[in-house]
Amino acid sequence: MAGLSISSVTKRFGDTEVLKGVTLDVADAEFVSLVGPSGCGKSTLLRIIAGLEDPTSGDIAIDGKGVTGMRAADRNLSMVFQSYALYPHLTVAENIAVPLRMRSLTTTQRLPLIGPFLPGAKDQRAEIATAVQKAAEMLEIGPLLDRKPGQLSGGQRQRVALGRALVRDPAAFLLDEPLSNLDAKLRVQTRAEIAQLHRRLNATFIYVTHDQVEAMTMSDRIAVMMGGEILQCDAPSVIYEDPSDIRVAEFIGSPKINILPIELSNAELTLFGQVLGRITEAAQAGIYQLGLRPEALKLTQTEPVMTGTVAHMENLGSEVYAQIALADQTSRVTLRAAPAERHKLQLGAEVGLGLDLQDGLIFDAVGKRQRRIEVAVTHVREVA
Amino acid sequence: MAAIDAPAAARAPREVNRQARTAWCLASPALALMFLILLVPVVVAGVLSFTNYSLGNSGFDWVGFENYDRLFSRSTYEKMFVATFTYVAVVVPISVALGLGAALLVNSLGRIGDVYKTIYFLPVMATLLAMAIVWEFMLHPTIGVINQTLELSCGTFLEVVPFLANGCADGFPLWLGDRDYAIWVLCFIGIWQGFGFNMVLYLAGLTAVHRELYHAAEVDGAKSAWERFRLVTWPALGPTTVFVVTISCIRAFQVFDTVEAFWPQGGGPNKSTYVMMFAIFEKGVQQNLIGIGSAITMLFLVFVMFLTLIQRWLVERKVHY
Repeated sequence: MAGLSISSVTKRFGDTEVLKGVTLDVADAEFVSLVGPSGCGKSTLLRIIAGLEDPTSGDIAIDGKGVTGMRAADRNLSMVFQSYALYPHLTVAENIAVPLRMRSLTTTQRLPLIGPFLPGAKDQRAEIATAVQKAAEMLEIGPLLDRKPGQLSGGQRQRVALGRALVRDPAAFLLDEPLSNLDAKLRVQTRAEIAQLHRRLNATFIYVTHDQVEAMTMSDRIAVMMGGEILQCDAPSVIYEDPSDIRVAEFIGSPKINILPIELSNAELTLFGQVLGRITEAAQAGIYQLGLRPEALKLTQTEPVMTGTVAHMENLGSEVYAQIALADQTSRVTLRAAPAERHKLQLGAEVGLGLDLQDGLIFDAVGKRQRRIEVAVTHVREVA
Repeated sequence: MAAIDAPAAARAPREVNRQARTAWCLASPALALMFLILLVPVVVAGVLSFTNYSLGNSGFDWVGFENYDRLFSRSTYEKMFVATFTYVAVVVPISVALGLGAALLVNSLGRIGDVYKTIYFLPVMATLLAMAIVWEFMLHPTIGVINQTLELSCGTFLEVVPFLANGCADGFPLWLGDRDYAIWVLCFIGIWQGFGFNMVLYLAGLTAVHRELYHAAEVDGAKSAWERFRLVTWPALGPTTVFVVTISCIRAFQVFDTVEAFWPQGGGPNKSTYVMMFAIFEKGVQQNLIGIGSAITMLFLVFVMFLTLIQRWLVERKVHY
């Protein structure tokens, strides 16, 4: 097991720049997710780490040793592919054994008829069989060892692909959207299993996904990628609560964060013409953007900051999400409410919304987080 | 249908009958044609193979297995089998291997690959009979371009090659007129003409190989091209290979145009290229010995049927995963 470091990696395909200088350090035994919308370059980055693609510039190091330019077969990394990429003509046991056969047997020892009788081959083959058996037991696929991939379900194939990755002792595991071909229920189950596997193996994992839930639930750190850059790489709670870019705030969190325009002048923050509060330190006056998670908005009757009508409601049982069309505005905001408040959220009902400015995230006009703008506590509005 | 549709279950028997009748009506033209133009001729040939019928004769005698007996006892037919099986045994493996090799090479190229594809496919598109005539000119012992080219080597250092030295001393081979060379020349032209077709079939097969499997093989430690071929390409091409081998075998058994163009008077020097199709043509058409011609035809059909059965068995057992 080893740490990994990626420094200023760029990649261009012709005229399109897919990666624009990505730098990321992954510690030994860390689980890092690369998450972002499709086309953000996360899979390309993973393939560059694996050695399946060469970076245009920049360096990759595994355990402190530079591997840029080294071919994938020599990097001692394991990879699980989105399509699982199992060899269809080999049984499950043979599939899992492939990485070991390729590394511990010589070309002649691998020959189909005479190979098993060559000196040393027997011991090697016995060792491989033991390792395969161990991997199969860990993933509970022992009974499937004699089947062909074509006879397996999606979830079983996924386990075989995992087995093939963990049968040897690689420097790191690279997983490329391994859950995207599974149905929703299996995905939740496998998610937990992969997280457990990570704890048990205590290995370095780099996990590519477009699903923020997977990233949030499994990772030690999440690297949010967009447009070929890592916008922020932090622990899941930091990514959610303290995003440093409006795109991170918008990508992570479901339903999406509400973004409202606010204005700062004379140390006062104004939203739709109402003064929300004062700031403690001087900051440049101008237009800013206020990000409010659905749970930061509250239903209120007394002195609401905003009013609107319920345009859509989603009842998830344990909580209720409502989209409120703001009065005199074209935009809608999403609100999270407790089930007890459901009766107030009938379609078309008029509601008042209050907010606590301290729960808000302030971004500048281009979307950079403005952490220096702090709201004075005394000026927080009273909410019911 | 009825099983899915609950209300239809009540009137199921009548419905099923009606559907079956319609199905037979719709299939009957094709069935009739297949029967008339495929099965009847085979049966007729089978019956005629037990007679001494000649076209124009008012009647014929039943001769039992005499025609078949001749096939397996006379030296002419022994030569026929030797020529046919030599041709099949040489042309099939080489044209399949070359087809696969060319497909892999063409597949690894970008746009230039299309140019090669066209070049290799040209002999397939050409009329074999016309091409045979061109080959005949090229292979002419004295004025042919091949022997003239070989003669250029006389008096140079190339004479260290025994074949060229002998040629310069005693004259170069007669090719089509030499019983030691004729069958190999025939094989060469068969391969030249056929491998482009196999290449196209393999190219189609290669498009179905999952790209991610190559990446998986690379990560798993398959370093050489040969290992990747063994692990990914060759297994994926299994169904294609079975099909290509079967098609090549049948085409090799059917070789006729070149033999007829080169040696219209009967199967090459010392009958060394007296292949089955030519024997059928010579006996059944030229010499009007319908009985023996039919017997060879039946044997030919048995071989082809045998190959087809092997293919079906292989396809079902081995190559589909």
